Amino acid sequence: MSKKKTVFDKNPLFSRSFMSRREFLKAQGGIAVFMAASGVGIMNWPEKARAEDYPDIALSTGVPDQATRTSVELLGGMSSFVNSGDRVVIKPNMSFAHTPDRATNTHPEVVRALAQMCVQAGASRVLVLDNTLHSAERCLELSGIRQACSGISGTEVLALSSARFFQEVELPGALNFRRTDIMRQVLQADVLIAAPVAKSHSATGVSLSMKGMMGLIRNRGVMHSRYNLNEAIVDLCTFLRADLTVVDASRVLSSHGPHGPGEVIRGDIVLASRDMVAADAKTVDLFPWYGRSIRPEQVAHIRIAHERGLGRMDIENLDIRTVEA
Amino acid sequence: MNFKRTVQAASLLFFLALLLLAAFPLKTWFPTDFFLRLDPLVFTGTLISSREWVSALAPGLIIILLTLVLGRFFCAYICPMGITLDISDRVFRPRYNNSFLSPEKSHGLRRVKFWILFFILGTAIVGVSTVFLGSPLSLITRFYGLVIYPLAVHILDLGLDSLFFFYSALGLERLAYIEFQTPRFATQVFVLLFFAAVFSLVLLSPRFWCRYLCPSGAVLALFSVRPLLRRTVSSSCTECGLCQSKCPMQAIEPDPARTRHQECIVCEECVRICPEKAITFAPGFRQADRPAPYWPQRRRVLASVLGGMGTALLLQTGVREVRSDTAPGNLASKFLIRPPGALLEEDFLGRCIRCGQCMKACPTNTLQPVWFESGILGLFSPKILPRRGPCEPLCNICGQVCPTGAIRSLPVLEKTWARMGTAHVLREKCLAWAWDRKCLVCFEVCPYAALELRRVPDISIPVPFVLLDKCAGCGACEFHCPVQAESAVVVEPMNSLRLNKGSYIEEGRAQGMSLEADPDREREPPEDILTEEDSPEALPPGFNY
Repeated sequence: MSKKKTVFDKNPLFSRSFMSRREFLKAQGGIAVFMAASGVGIMNWPEKARAEDYPDIALSTGVPDQATRTSVELLGGMSSFVNSGDRVVIKPNMSFAHTPDRATNTHPEVVRALAQMCVQAGASRVLVLDNTLHSAERCLELSGIRQACSGISGTEVLALSSARFFQEVELPGALNFRRTDIMRQVLQADVLIAAPVAKSHSATGVSLSMKGMMGLIRNRGVMHSRYNLNEAIVDLCTFLRADLTVVDASRVLSSHGPHGPGEVIRGDIVLASRDMVAADAKTVDLFPWYGRSIRPEQVAHIRIAHERGLGRMDIENLDIRTVEA
Repeated sequence: MNFKRTVQAASLLFFLALLLLAAFPLKTWFPTDFFLRLDPLVFTGTLISSREWVSALAPGLIIILLTLVLGRFFCAYICPMGITLDISDRVFRPRYNNSFLSPEKSHGLRRVKFWILFFILGTAIVGVSTVFLGSPLSLITRFYGLVIYPLAVHILDLGLDSLFFFYSALGLERLAYIEFQTPRFATQVFVLLFFAAVFSLVLLSPRFWCRYLCPSGAVLALFSVRPLLRRTVSSSCTECGLCQSKCPMQAIEPDPARTRHQECIVCEECVRICPEKAITFAPGFRQADRPAPYWPQRRRVLASVLGGMGTALLLQTGVREVRSDTAPGNLASKFLIRPPGALLEEDFLGRCIRCGQCMKACPTNTLQPVWFESGILGLFSPKILPRRGPCEPLCNICGQVCPTGAIRSLPVLEKTWARMGTAHVLREKCLAWAWDRKCLVCFEVCPYAALELRRVPDISIPVPFVLLDKCAGCGACEFHCPVQAESAVVVEPMNSLRLNKGSYIEEGRAQGMSLEADPDREREPPEDILTEEDSPEALPPGFNY
């Protein structure tokens, strides 16, 4: 029972020479301690063990809490992502000082369910992190996420922006955007879970798991000003590749995102995948955006990520399982 | 610790606590500008310059009335400037000789504070507030708020920075995740230099400022000619002269039984040190002990008042002095964006005592002291610097902590309508306009939905336009704009809404504004930007092909 990387299995395009956040961690030697302790070696990771057992995308309808649990369960349960003693980082959207009905932040129940599952799976530390756009305090308060996670042991909801929380790293897999400051807690984490809300975005079409990774770095501005934003997002995700992506589509901000107010659709869906690109692609496909149906390849960063082998947007070829929670 | 020190420590701590509490969100019902409102000069000067009874400043009058009974107790026990000087005097005083000033010189210098006072009142007659030049509370609030407070936060932050690995290794994660945002201010070097000069005056005499310069002290001196509670010396006095040499205000005459009550700050140092225990402070009625009261000469008073009036009038002829916001021919700096709820510029400058309390309290650090953007008369008054931080729509702290009402204390709903200025896009710098870059951060962050995306010919992506009726000039766009150096969307004070009274909402509506009392943008989405239904260009914003 251990972690695996479906990207390697399914994408011949994907070069193994990419150094992801996890390999960075290994390079730092931090994981050596953990592996010595848990008796798991890199060589023993069964890379293909689960490829057939579990769907590529698990889709669950129902109330946020239950739907989150069910979709993760479909992927093999949290214990196939989190081992005992792991440090987990959950990256929701909580960048806006808005209440959950605005659909600009991840539903607090989704984050809570994820954190609880991580703790049950034996996580030693669960950090819910974002570098917020609005005032940190108000975001934590109004989003309801801090309140929702307050009772969970070992779990902390934090909005970090000071320089000391960040460390500059190379993004070896990047083409253009090759260097940035990333939260230390993320660099030190064993497991990274992306938990975005489904919403539209005026500059990138949608803001889902890949776009959400911008909340873990310090200087987002240069991604807009120096680079092509969509290319830069993919560059960032070659490094910040989530082990598990859980998209909260309980409510979908289908227009005028990321800030709104826009049209909020009741989605009543939570979907999960090991593949960020597939999760994002499926979310794009599921809902109308500005009242129109959009294909995943019409979202530039999803298309680029697919082309560069980060994940798959050809959802018609993926195994997608839907369950009612 | 004797009685004086105890009260002094309590006063200073209370003052500092209130200054710290002057922050958003306000967590106290107690007025955080309490000490500022006690300053007798703030009361007198503002009363004259604003030509209005400002009831919030009435505590200053109460201090004046109490002085009739108790003498200048304010200077010794309450004034944070005086207490700070007592502390700094102990630190910096020369160890050898403390009498550089002969009694004659000292006597002459005492008058200076009256000239300063009447100069300030002279400018006030013209409607110009120069209270900030000498009001001890204004000065000391500026000192602690704009110099010491940021320094302290910065040091704390650096401390947390350097010890980060230490305590996170100890598992003190709660501590590890405390974040301080260090406020940064313009003009702080000048304020510091001023105080360095005031502190170094201890080389000439202790409490030099209070003895010779302080115009608030001068006000109180005018009312403490014959205080009810006064220094009395019994017949057991041996005329040893100890009290004369130790009196911080040099208020004891060559005959130690005689006291200059106008200079005496009732600190009772003489009582404590008298070896014969001959001195008491008690209700006194005897006329004999009393030296002739010092009244500043009429001619000097007149000269000072006229000097103040003349200076103020002369400065008003400077081309940079803002006389009116809207009349043609007046230069208004494009950087001079006043805080929301600021009175009409002339009235604002007549009221504002430049204490810096609003700047200390501002949660986004956008409020900054002005240097010379609005001429000499605007020195240290607050302005909004959007590149440093946006004005938070849900915050109304600056008006709440303003002691004189130069910034009106507005309910939050009213405040969101108190338009500060208008943003405009610099198309030659804008990533979307000039470089076809998908940025649109301004559109994302505008809390008023005042930015609209429209398609224009020859540009592949929708570009931002500012909607004049919706922009409040909060500066969120300018702050967040990722374009470096000058932002590609900038706020100017153009079309700011300044009202001395009445409702901003009503006036704003009458002017056709729609700054919906809804900074959270919980209202109708901006008009849809879709143009043609099925053409390839008609994809929603952000999508390709």
